[in-house]
Amino acid sequence: MADVVLRDVVKNYGALPVVHAINLDIAHGEFVVLVGPSGCGKSTTLRMIAGLEAISGGTVRIGDRVVNDLPPRDRNISMVFQNYALYPHMSVRENLGFSLHIAKRPKAEIDKAVAEAAEILSLTPLLDRKPGQLSGGQRQRVAMGRAIVRHPDVFLFDEPLSNLDAKLRTQMRVEIKRLHQKVGTTIIYVTHDQIEAITLADRIVIMRDGHIVQIGTPLEVFERPVNAFVATFIGSPPMNLLPATVAGGALRLADGSTIPMPPGLSVRDGQAVHFGVRADNIMPEGHSMPPTAHMAHVEMPVTLTEPLGTETLLFATLAGTEVQAKMLNPRPVRTGEVLRFGIALDKCHLFDATTGASLRV
Amino acid sequence: MYRMRLPPWLLLLLPAFVILLAVVAIPLVLSFYSSFTAFQLTRPETITKWIGTFNYQKAMGDANFWAAFGRTVLLLTVALNLEMLLGLGLALMVAKVTRGQRLLRTMMMFPMMFSPILVGFQFKFIFNDNVGLLNNALQSLGLTDVAIPWLVDGSLAFFAIVFAEVWTSTSVFAILILAGLFAIPQDPVEAARVDGCTPWQTFRYVTLPFLMPFIYIAMAIRSLDVARAYDIVQVMTAGGPARRTELLWTLIGRTGYVDARMGYANAMGYIAILLSIVFTVYFFRKLTTARTSLGMGD
Amino acid sequence: MDQGQSHRIRRRLLALGHFIGLLLAMSLICLPGLWVVLNSFRPTVEIMAKPPVWIPSELNLDNYRAMFGGIGEGGVPVLTYFWNSLVISLTSTVIALLVGMAGGYAFARYRIPGKSAVFVGLMVTRAVPGVALSLPLFILYGRLGIIDTHFGMILVYVALNVPFTIWLIDGFFRQVPKELAEAAEIDGCTRWQAFWKVEFPVARAGIASAGIFAFLTSWNEYALASQLTRSLNSKTMPVGLMDFTSQFTLNWGGMCALAVLMIIPALVLTFLVQKHLIAGLTFGGVKG
Ligand SMILES: Nc1ncnc2c1ncn2[C@@H]1O[C@H](COP(=O)(O)OP(=O)(O)O)[C@@H](O)[C@H]1O
Ligand SMILES: [Mg+2]
Repeated sequence: MADVVLRDVVKNYGALPVVHAINLDIAHGEFVVLVGPSGCGKSTTLRMIAGLEAISGGTVRIGDRVVNDLPPRDRNISMVFQNYALYPHMSVRENLGFSLHIAKRPKAEIDKAVAEAAEILSLTPLLDRKPGQLSGGQRQRVAMGRAIVRHPDVFLFDEPLSNLDAKLRTQMRVEIKRLHQKVGTTIIYVTHDQIEAITLADRIVIMRDGHIVQIGTPLEVFERPVNAFVATFIGSPPMNLLPATVAGGALRLADGSTIPMPPGLSVRDGQAVHFGVRADNIMPEGHSMPPTAHMAHVEMPVTLTEPLGTETLLFATLAGTEVQAKMLNPRPVRTGEVLRFGIALDKCHLFDATTGASLRV
Repeated sequence: MYRMRLPPWLLLLLPAFVILLAVVAIPLVLSFYSSFTAFQLTRPETITKWIGTFNYQKAMGDANFWAAFGRTVLLLTVALNLEMLLGLGLALMVAKVTRGQRLLRTMMMFPMMFSPILVGFQFKFIFNDNVGLLNNALQSLGLTDVAIPWLVDGSLAFFAIVFAEVWTSTSVFAILILAGLFAIPQDPVEAARVDGCTPWQTFRYVTLPFLMPFIYIAMAIRSLDVARAYDIVQVMTAGGPARRTELLWTLIGRTGYVDARMGYANAMGYIAILLSIVFTVYFFRKLTTARTSLGMGD
Repeated sequence: MDQGQSHRIRRRLLALGHFIGLLLAMSLICLPGLWVVLNSFRPTVEIMAKPPVWIPSELNLDNYRAMFGGIGEGGVPVLTYFWNSLVISLTSTVIALLVGMAGGYAFARYRIPGKSAVFVGLMVTRAVPGVALSLPLFILYGRLGIIDTHFGMILVYVALNVPFTIWLIDGFFRQVPKELAEAAEIDGCTRWQAFWKVEFPVARAGIASAGIFAFLTSWNEYALASQLTRSLNSKTMPVGLMDFTSQFTLNWGGMCALAVLMIIPALVLTFLVQKHLIAGLTFGGVKG
């Protein structure tokens, strides 16, 4: 086990920079998730840590070694690939034992390690099959088994669940978390799925266009997004953003109506902003959480409803922008029905309209 | 310590480059040079006798050369197209068979095992006007009582050569197209059926476009291997009788070895090479476009 | 009801047409070859008889006996030719595969500047007709003193096959996901180990089919061999066929016997890898 430290790590493809001088400290035993839209450089970062891509600048340290010039085999890491990359010509048993076989470990030791990993991942009955004879979920487990067999310092996962169906994905998510609790190895996990990030991570690293935008615990990035990008990227449904102007201690929306200024913000009069509110913080009266100290009220026509069982997602229009709101203890709502909504202002955000930066202090 | 390092891809390609340089490029340079001389095989000193583009001018004005050139292009066009059509038909028929397909596939490849020279002899005998299998059969069946001069009459001989060519090489097309048929994703085919396409329309608008890259590969391979025709023709008619089946390659071979006029032969050889290259590059282009349009490009 | 019946009749007719078409095609494909095999068991006089003898009066092994009987009895040194063919074809195939694997791997895995130009350049060398090549090669080999040697023939055939093997093998390696080799490297392999333990075995079927094409080309090649071989040292079977011809006569029966000897190894080999051939071509050629 080991910590991983990235210092000003840069990756260029020719003249094209795809990772810009990122810094990241991952503690020993931590589960860190790199998340961001596709093409933002997550895989590239992970592959530099693995040694599969040359590092154009900066240093990568694993444990007490700077690994910049070490080939993958000398870094004592293991990796689970998006498409699993199982060796198609080997049985599950051989796949699992391959790394130990290459390291010329005694056969008894290999057998024991394989049996152990197979047990953890309930692969024992499948040991003699070829990868081609396995289902997607089983292949996924073999890929994980192959990673744990060698007890590496660091596990690297590159979108390991993106090829599974929704149900299996949830199931495997739990298994990965359980695995981490059991073995306690440092994990660096790449995904573009923010739900995966939130549910799995000790800390989330949000990336965009080759930069790290924010690092924090799931709760931190959810509650205190540093900018509008993080605010809309993390959380589902995404945070509603309404264009507004600061006018005399209140917010004037596009249609001229106003709402009171949320507390705890630093703004200038006349500043163009985006007003951000999550669906959980804008609810119709009589179907909402208990009101907080700072409430605002608006009336909106409902354009669409999406019942989710214990709650219903309402699509409504506010000042010309579509807004998603939540209705607790739902009752049927007609399309076009105008409801009165309460907004919990102390949970709302303001972002500068040009820079996108959060205006919370 | 600083060490010169080649990029790995160059290192990996180096053996291929070296061998092709030694066996193809250097001889070609040599023959290119000698095509500007009056080189004769029997008199080695003539290789230094520089005569400029005389050989090329001579070839340009040589009616025999142009006749052979035209005949070669005609043979290539006719044979490649026939092979493509027959190969397509054969592959479609074989693909439909469910039981015993493996055997059929092996039988289909039977002609590929035959050396072109052997094919030449085989058809020389089949088409022989006196004791040939074909005439024997036709006469025994009473379809004709004269001996048809298959290899003597110009156009009949051309037909015989095309037949031999097609016999040997249709399997190359058939096997590649069969491979293509096996690789066709079923979804679009089924979608077309559901959309109300007749079998013919499904074939025309779904299957065939998908097969095109395979067909172009076969075309490319075959146009690379056109020189095989030399062996077959050399044995069957040797370009005769009276040059009526002369192809570029038989002409070159005879000029070089029999008449020993190497310089002139090499000049004609260069023109033949250009012809092959044009064909090959053409099919590679087609292949690339077909691949790209199917999203298989790289 | 009525429509159903006409449908059924049409289907029957189609099936019948399919069967007849297939039968016709297969006969055309196989009969000329089988005729050669049949003739190898008949005396040349009978084959050449006029009027034709359709039903062989006797089948015997005379042609084979004469062929294997050695030069003394008017036979042809077939075994020597066979041996030459075998050594030259196998060696050149193995070398062409190794060179082709290196080159194909380079094309599949590395960014090469001007890739498609390099590629077409390689392929174009194959487009050079044998006759055009045999003239200058003859002179060059004469200078180097490697005319009529195994080495010389192997060299030529490697060059002949390399472009094609590179092309096919490039396609096969492209089908092997890059992640497999990466996974192997992470599992502790060197690049070299990753290749031999993972990428090579996965692409094996395709490589075998490239091998078949290379072998058949060398095994059957005539134009170059006829110029670059002279004697028992290196003469191959296709050239050996010419031993059965003389100015005015032709020992057709004997030639057929040698032909059978040539076909059998090719047939056996093709049958063995036939399944891989189709699979290999499916992914190799096109997706490349
Ligand atoms: N081999 C390459 N050459 C050039 N650009 C590349 C290469 N690999 C990836 N890229 C670019 O780098 C950027 C980051 O890619 P990647 O790290 O794979 O993104 P993701 O976050 O989706 O995993 C993308 O814009 C991609 O186009
Ligand atoms: Mg990625």
